[in-house]
Amino acid sequence: MRPEPRGELDRREHAWVRDAQRGSAPALEQLFRHHWPRAYRAALLVVGDAAAAEDIAQEAFLAAVRALDRFDRRRPFGPWLHRIVVNRAIDWGRARTLRRELGEADAPEPAAPEREPAEYAPRLATALAGLGPEHRAVIVLRYLLEYTPGEIAELLDLPRGTVNSRLRRGLDRLEAVLREEPE
Amino acid sequence: MSERRVQRLLDSTPADEQAEARAWEIVRTAYAQREPRRRPRRRLRLVLAFAAVAALAAAAFSPPGRAVVNAVRRSIGIEHAQPALFRLPTGGRVLVAGDGGAWVVAADGSKRRLGDYAQASWSPHGLYVVAASTNELAAVTPAGAVHWTLSRPKIRFPRWGGTRTDTRIAYLTTSRLHVVGGDGAGDAAAAGVAAAPVAPVWQPTSADRHVLAYVTARGRVTVLDSDRGSVRWISPAYTGPRVLAWSPDGKQLALATRTKVVLFDARTGHTTAVRIAGVRALAFAPDGRLALLNDREVVLRSGTRSRTLFVPPGGRLDGLAWSPDGRWLLTELPAADEWVFLQTRGGRRILAVSHIAAQFGAFPTLSGWAK
Repeated sequence: MRPEPRGELDRREHAWVRDAQRGSAPALEQLFRHHWPRAYRAALLVVGDAAAAEDIAQEAFLAAVRALDRFDRRRPFGPWLHRIVVNRAIDWGRARTLRRELGEADAPEPAAPEREPAEYAPRLATALAGLGPEHRAVIVLRYLLEYTPGEIAELLDLPRGTVNSRLRRGLDRLEAVLREEPE
Repeated sequence: MSERRVQRLLDSTPADEQAEARAWEIVRTAYAQREPRRRPRRRLRLVLAFAAVAALAAAAFSPPGRAVVNAVRRSIGIEHAQPALFRLPTGGRVLVAGDGGAWVVAADGSKRRLGDYAQASWSPHGLYVVAASTNELAAVTPAGAVHWTLSRPKIRFPRWGGTRTDTRIAYLTTSRLHVVGGDGAGDAAAAGVAAAPVAPVWQPTSADRHVLAYVTARGRVTVLDSDRGSVRWISPAYTGPRVLAWSPDGKQLALATRTKVVLFDARTGHTTAVRIAGVRALAFAPDGRLALLNDREVVLRSGTRSRTLFVPPGGRLDGLAWSPDGRWLLTELPAADEWVFLQTRGGRRILAVSHIAAQFGAFPTLSGWAK
């Protein structure tokens, strides 16, 4: 099946946003169903924790709903949502790193076992785990969400050169870990 | 390595359909509740609100009208609510109190009425209940046997704290903070200044000491060693204090005000503010997670990370109680006459129970969930 032309998708998304602003729940659902899988995957690939990814993607959609009336329909919805998702995922990753520095032994005993970590492509998870959240975010924005380095620089408020170097380092790391896996 | 291969690998990451379904429920209800962009004029809104209240009140007094009220409740309640509390979703005993008296609900759903007490709370180990009617304080067993009573005017917010062998009960009379021994002896005013209408809370401890936090009428949080009568620290004044809670390790004290939540270091009184407005209830889980409830949602805070746990389909939520194992959170939806159990670990189930008022004589206030 041929993918839907970008222009047609943009027109439909524009209509969903407009109708959702006017109070149409079905339009909001279309918008949600269309964007959820990539928003969730992006969060999961940055944080590597399924429960946290669900929270981050959910909170991003809630933020979108709360700001829906103020949203400028002339702008595309996707980048706006992805900026929220990826920045929250980076914040989560940083916070977890800081908490780990305090020592796992200091953490309270959980009342029940946490949910098992997501079993997505274990080698990919391992490869990504070797990168910091900022590097993972750049890889995800480039190769999952298909933004150009210039767009990523704008979304993350980074110099273009930093984006390029993070992409390079990320690819090198993925290559090192995944080299033995057949293409 | 080719960029296309990276792309293929990232694209193969599965999306969790159950997570999508859960998130959509929360997003959908938040959307249904959002403020419309164009509001009717203020005067018209007032007239409409008055008319709606009058219509509902009239409806409630006629049998056909009762059906209408029930329909309204159904429309704002949770779908597939159980018609009665058949059992708790996990172990422990829930204590409630209100116009229908104080009740203890066991894990199997059986209920025992303790007496005509409008307020109640558990003793630190759940062995007793301190209950209060307007002018009487009583220590009773969960089976309803009265151990002692104390008559004082206009009793509010009785709270029991201490170790297994030496306990104290704090409560407010009109505006004074009192402390009495767990055996009912030695009742005395504990502070020289008037207290705000906020429940005092005992610092959890394994040591033999009795440290209490309360809010003065001027809105200053005060931590008091009730044995020595000495004040450990006093905070600056906060406007609109609503609720206090200690973390389970006693290292942190949380205060909810109209505009924010303030977390105090128990030793120094140093603060961290959490920007969440309108919090009316907060409760720490046994593992230290903090649940917060405002007019719009239930939020779960773990470390510095917050997530929305539940957005009701309509109406205002009231009260929070953690299950002793920290897996479930109980809240109330009075407008729908429902209790809502929210699973926070090992899954994300939401269980609702309806016809709560009929089961307790009146819609009660949650007073705790003990082992």
